[in-house]
Amino acid sequence: MIEFTINNQPVTAKKGETILQAARKAGFYIPTMCYIEKTTPCASCRLCVVETDKTDGLILSCQTPPTQGLAVTIDSERLQTERTNIMRMYDVNHPLECGVCDKSGACDLQNKTLEFGVSTQHFSAKEQHRKIEHWGLINYDPSLCILCEKCVHVCNEIIGDDAIELQFGGYKSAVIPKNSETLDCTFCGECIAVCPVGALVSSKFQYSANAWELTQIPATCAHCSAGCSLTYEVRHTSNLLGAKQKIYRVTNNFEVATLCGAGRFGFDFDIQAAKEESVFEKAVSAFKNAKAIRFSSLITNEETLILQRLKEKLGVKLFNEEARAYQSFMDAYSSMSGKSAFSGTLDAVAQSDAIIVLGGRISTDNPAVRYAMTTAARHNGAKIIYMHPLEDVLLQNVVTQNVRYEAGSEEGVIAMLTQTLLEGCDVDNAIKAFLESLDEGYLCAESNVGNEEFAQILKSLRRAQRKTLIIGSDVLSHKRADNIARLCALIEMHTDFSLIVLPQTVNTVGVSLICDLDRDEESADVVGYNAQGDFVIGSMGECVLAMPSLNQQEGTFVSINYQLLSTNVAVAFEGYCLNDIASSLGVKALNTIDYTVQLPIQKGFKAIGFDALGNFYGGLGEDNRGYMLETMDVAVEGELEAIDDLPEFNGTVVYRCNPVNQFNAYTARTSQLEMDTSLRGSVQFATAARISDGDSVTIEGYAGARVFVLDETLKGTIALFPTYDIAFGGAHENYRFEKIKLKRMGS
Amino acid sequence: MSKVYFSTWRGEQINNIGKPESEWEVSAYNLPEQYNEHSHSKAFIGWDGLALFNPDVDVVRLATEYAAQYQVYSEACGRCAPGRWGGRILYDLLDKIARGEGAISDMEHLKEVSRTMQETSKCEIGKTVPTPLLDLMNHFEAEFMACIVEQKASKHYHMEDTNYIAKITAPCMDACPAHVDIPAYIEGVRDLRFDDSLMATRQTMPLAHTCGRVCPHPCETECRRTNLDEPISIMELKRLGADYETDHGFGFFHPYEQKPSIGKKVAVIGSGPAGLTGAYYLALDGIDVDVYEELPVLGGEVAVGVPEYRMPVDKYNQDIKAVRDLGVNFITNTKVTADMMRQYENDYDAILVATGTRISKKVYCENERADIQGYWGAIDFLDKVNLEVKYGIMVPEADQKRHMLDKDYVDLTGKTVVCVGGGFTSMDVVRCSIRANAAKVVMIYRRDERTIINNTTYEEYHEAVEEGVEFIFHSAVAEMRDENNVLKSLLIDRFELVPNPDGGRPTLEKIEGASFEMACDYLIPAVSQSADLKLIPEEWEIERTSWATIKTNGKDYMTSRKGIFAAGDCEYGPMTIVNAVGQAKRAASVMSRYVVNGEITLADNEIMEDHLRKLKVYDKKEKIQGWLPGLPRQHSEVLTVEERRDNNREVKYALTQEEAMSEAQRCMRCYYIAMVAH
Repeated sequence: MIEFTINNQPVTAKKGETILQAARKAGFYIPTMCYIEKTTPCASCRLCVVETDKTDGLILSCQTPPTQGLAVTIDSERLQTERTNIMRMYDVNHPLECGVCDKSGACDLQNKTLEFGVSTQHFSAKEQHRKIEHWGLINYDPSLCILCEKCVHVCNEIIGDDAIELQFGGYKSAVIPKNSETLDCTFCGECIAVCPVGALVSSKFQYSANAWELTQIPATCAHCSAGCSLTYEVRHTSNLLGAKQKIYRVTNNFEVATLCGAGRFGFDFDIQAAKEESVFEKAVSAFKNAKAIRFSSLITNEETLILQRLKEKLGVKLFNEEARAYQSFMDAYSSMSGKSAFSGTLDAVAQSDAIIVLGGRISTDNPAVRYAMTTAARHNGAKIIYMHPLEDVLLQNVVTQNVRYEAGSEEGVIAMLTQTLLEGCDVDNAIKAFLESLDEGYLCAESNVGNEEFAQILKSLRRAQRKTLIIGSDVLSHKRADNIARLCALIEMHTDFSLIVLPQTVNTVGVSLICDLDRDEESADVVGYNAQGDFVIGSMGECVLAMPSLNQQEGTFVSINYQLLSTNVAVAFEGYCLNDIASSLGVKALNTIDYTVQLPIQKGFKAIGFDALGNFYGGLGEDNRGYMLETMDVAVEGELEAIDDLPEFNGTVVYRCNPVNQFNAYTARTSQLEMDTSLRGSVQFATAARISDGDSVTIEGYAGARVFVLDETLKGTIALFPTYDIAFGGAHENYRFEKIKLKRMGS
Repeated sequence: MSKVYFSTWRGEQINNIGKPESEWEVSAYNLPEQYNEHSHSKAFIGWDGLALFNPDVDVVRLATEYAAQYQVYSEACGRCAPGRWGGRILYDLLDKIARGEGAISDMEHLKEVSRTMQETSKCEIGKTVPTPLLDLMNHFEAEFMACIVEQKASKHYHMEDTNYIAKITAPCMDACPAHVDIPAYIEGVRDLRFDDSLMATRQTMPLAHTCGRVCPHPCETECRRTNLDEPISIMELKRLGADYETDHGFGFFHPYEQKPSIGKKVAVIGSGPAGLTGAYYLALDGIDVDVYEELPVLGGEVAVGVPEYRMPVDKYNQDIKAVRDLGVNFITNTKVTADMMRQYENDYDAILVATGTRISKKVYCENERADIQGYWGAIDFLDKVNLEVKYGIMVPEADQKRHMLDKDYVDLTGKTVVCVGGGFTSMDVVRCSIRANAAKVVMIYRRDERTIINNTTYEEYHEAVEEGVEFIFHSAVAEMRDENNVLKSLLIDRFELVPNPDGGRPTLEKIEGASFEMACDYLIPAVSQSADLKLIPEEWEIERTSWATIKTNGKDYMTSRKGIFAAGDCEYGPMTIVNAVGQAKRAASVMSRYVVNGEITLADNEIMEDHLRKLKVYDKKEKIQGWLPGLPRQHSEVLTVEERRDNNREVKYALTQEEAMSEAQRCMRCYYIAMVAH
């Protein structure tokens, strides 16, 4: 701890903290225009200058750590004069278009101009003509840009796209796409979020509403399992009486959190319906007669609990193979580790200096995890080892070692990894015997991962202090998932790795905690809730009875952090909901959220009602969203099984994997996200499958045709096969690598 | 000492206005009075003041042009609000005054903007640009006011009689023989834009991995941060960009796009740092390059001289790959002879000789005979060690016999090794001997501990001592004693430093009776090296220096024979890698113009570079403002003696990201802009 003073008040700073950070924590205000807490200081605005007793000139508080005993003055006439002059410069030739600017009312430049009382243009410089750039979902107006560089910093340091840069040129400087004529990125839109002025804006939102007309609805993103915080901003669509509400845009607390493009631009998946009693009655009787209810993890905890209650009341089975696989994986994990949940979180990933990722397409499965990895790579220089049959070009600038194993060989790979990481660890004899019994020659040969690659991993880890093992969803649906889980537990228990496991869908974790799930084998009398069935209800696919989408419901999810997060109604739904059906069947509650407080305490939930849940970040970035589930003790009774023969995947193999910003049938129906449904493969794949670029193909077992796209960035013989647009959204039941029969339909 | 009409440079106040030229007071500084051989300078203006060399200078236009240059060069700055807008306001207002449209309030605004820029700009360029402008406005207020009051253009405003040549510099950039844009590559680290960092380095220095490790970093000696607390760890920060490129398997981040082939061919003799650098920049300019290398491996002395534990070969090979990536053609195992040179002169448009200094000089003692077994030149010794350690090339049988080795690699188990030296090469010899398991390793050095540290680095010396090298200072070998041509012992003289009663340098004098005999198996002379220039055809009569290297003017690196250039140690004598890089970079630049138009020219920025080096950018007396002192320099972790002594693991870890960021944050971005009007 460093002790110093600000305006004669004692303040302390932790090692590595800057004067600005310490000041903010202690409640002092130092003005800034370019500062953003989650990146390195941009240091461009210079407003945060302060005086000290150890310096003659002014020093920059955002990038200077204090020294012991330093006396800092953060306001004085001299500082006020210089800061005012800086604001006067910012205002030179800034277009006076606040009346129509998207940012008006929420603009840092407006606010600071007011704060410093700059009422006239004090200095003058020659006007310059600047062209507005149209980059798809994003528009950029350089004349409004104050060149704070926040966008450039988040794009590179947090997102990892590194798609924009500052074109240096003094007064003529501008933000430009990096190494490209136009913006070529994953369109997360974080640059829009951090822009303090109206320079970077959503092209669809631009000129559609004023900031102050929008009602802000705090919610949780429904597209993947990361549980990102977002705010739906809604407004009536016209001035007519009874005009409907509509989501105009999504924003996020960019100071501390980050949002991907699906969360930001894929918000209009709400549906409309009216109450039709006859259909409702049919639904009720379908439930009464059902042998089973099949549902997806696109569901809140509360509705999940309703289903569990219906199971208990009606004796139906509950099917959700994705959640069951996760549940089974976690049971196996717990049986070794003795605890209900793993130790890792997204924050831990971001703080890591070494990360091993195994078995998932992180950049599109869980963008938030990608961002945490980017943060670790940039800020901590993390060594990132990506183990997967397919390299991912989006991760190239974070991954330091690609380990490509044969599809299906995960159990063998993780066994070898366990052996590598546990070397020299004090483990009991059973484990020692297990590790010694591994047939390295066989495992290396069949997985195609050499000893030298494991040696290289060890070398990368040599100096690491904070390590995380990330397990992707490939292994959850692997037939040897349970043994893999046990091996993961071993690594977590005996090394300093923390572990995080990534199911794909928003509430797979919640479902796995709340329901007794049955193996899905029933084929008749199944009610589907956003899933296949003989009688289907829901908000996606062909449904007999429409139910509200996840942006039309209040309720909670459990994220991959084992954090309970609440979401709210952005757009009203006038039809029925699951609670109505359940109430008719004797599982009664006034509101769905009455179940929040009843979520199972023995699984780590807390007896806290929905309305008592926070859903915001504090001023210093404290996470006041929902609560963290308790980690429960579990009996240790698991035993390692011998490694099974490694399966082989020959022939035409695809990997089910969605393009950027697409996750499920919700994202598939939004208006702004790009709809790429093509099957993408390398030259090698095309040759083996005897197809060429532009061919239309069908895949046995999946409806509809796909266009084949030859992708130069891909290597190997496995093609990427998107499934998000298929009726109920992603198929997460089976192992993601699949041997398929492919039929060429024409080109 | 320069003859000036008026000067405020570095705070001097020389005002010869109105005095006859014979009475002019001279400036204490090496100001660029003469721009080049064709042209006198009219004025020099920079971060610390200005000098006028004749009375006819249009000071209002001079101020305007300096502000304009800041606009041009704001490429390096322009990244903060006061610099970006302030710089533009300065220029617009000065130009308005200069063209005769100014108002009196403009003078006030200029001063106000200047103050805010000086107080709050991000880098020194923004902080210092107003300095000479304010000087001009103060000392020549009448000329400014005349333009305003009479609403007329300044005296030369509409004339094109003067060239304004500007150059961006920084104390560290100036001190670096390769003039690497150090603040830019540090900024790349600070902004976590490692590709930008590497591209900044590669503008003038292709060997980023190498010079991130084994550079004696003269830049750090002239780092302005020293005036505040301690210099930045400049050298090691270079590694972040290089590691980023390597670790992520990117292609190569070249500083700019390679030009398409212009159909010209250059031969480069030698693939050491100078040869690689020359080849790199020639190739970037679209010239086809063949590099001839005598050894079976590429890289010259950095490959076979610098040991693996200091410079891992896989990292050096990355640097070499970056050169190869530009299509440079390497021909190994080819010792170039005079006949071949005669042929090359016809075959190529120009030749760059970069053969280094690979002959170990003698220690000059009694009975010093090359045929005594146990007498082993440092260069050859290091060749044998490194070829085996780095490339697995074993010692040939004849050499095993010659050097009394019973294995096909250098194994000194049980042997006593004495090395005579005091520079990097001798350090490499003794530390390699330790790693070759010698029983005893002794360094004989004529001067003292402080000097050996100055010659090398503190770390290098300290690590050698830790590893068990015995240093005997103030000593020299007087005689080699052999039995049947096998070295048995040495007679060592001891010296003492005797103060010079006349106040000059103290002299070393032998202590009579203090000499002693030391049994040893090997004497390895590492005193210095000389150039092997047998490849230069005698009839070319290429001029040599008095220390028997190839002579050039040290600016364009052309030898006395047109079209034949020389750079690196074969030109300068044994010196540093970065010196070789700097020379070869300049030579490549001159050559790429020469092969097109047959003329030997320096670009303006090169002329300015040389002027500034003469003037010296770093001012160790300057008091630093605007930065908080007391933030400690970060040191990267070093392997323990036990971990490193018996193997070739790299001794130094890289800075951790946290350490690197902390270092990068300490950089004060001391960019300056200097301009000559001529």
